[in-house]
Amino acid sequence: MDIHNYEKLWLVLAMVMIVGFISTTTYGATALGIEMISDDEETIDPNALDEDPRFSEPRVEQVGENEYEAYVVARQFVFEPDPITVPANSTVTFYITSADVIHGFEVVGTNANTMVIPGEVATLTVEPNEPGEYGILCNEYCGGGHHVMEGKLVVEPEAEFDRGEADE
Amino acid sequence: MAEEQPIREIGHDEFDPNGTLALILVYFAILTVMWIFMYFVEFLGNDLTVIG
Repeated sequence: MDIHNYEKLWLVLAMVMIVGFISTTTYGATALGIEMISDDEETIDPNALDEDPRFSEPRVEQVGENEYEAYVVARQFVFEPDPITVPANSTVTFYITSADVIHGFEVVGTNANTMVIPGEVATLTVEPNEPGEYGILCNEYCGGGHHVMEGKLVVEPEAEFDRGEADE
Repeated sequence: MAEEQPIREIGHDEFDPNGTLALILVYFAILTVMWIFMYFVEFLGNDLTVIG
């Protein structure tokens, strides 16, 4: 087959570009450890969340030095707890489930975003470094109050967070 | 009577579409720059990122 040299050139360039796209995402997944949210958590009974050790009382719990777990329940039309308060420079794993219908959990303006499905526990780990406040939004239509369903994620400076803990 | 036009025939490899080549190179350059911006600036710079 007779292929013109210019055509060979841009075929090769297109291939190089595709390889480039794939290797950047591979770099993200391996070197930077960016993960997808998986569905490998055990399923639970969404009608019995009040008997579940994690979700009967939505909260943030310290599980190690600088490691925290947040158990979050999304229901029409709130996120519990609200606000979710975590310290800066920590590793926080969110366990999020729904008590009724499908919701979304999006930390606005960030890559932390998941679907919240009744019976499933969405698990995501993030590392908040800077103190600040983020909004949390439901981004799956969940009923008449969907547009007001919001929460807040507060990243407190470490010293302040420790003081707050001591008060409790 | 119209004048007779000279007809020039060129072979497959003599035809060089330089304009097309330039357009494609510019297009590829735009794609590369946009990809780098989208992935490294917009995506990776958009903390909190899911790492587990």
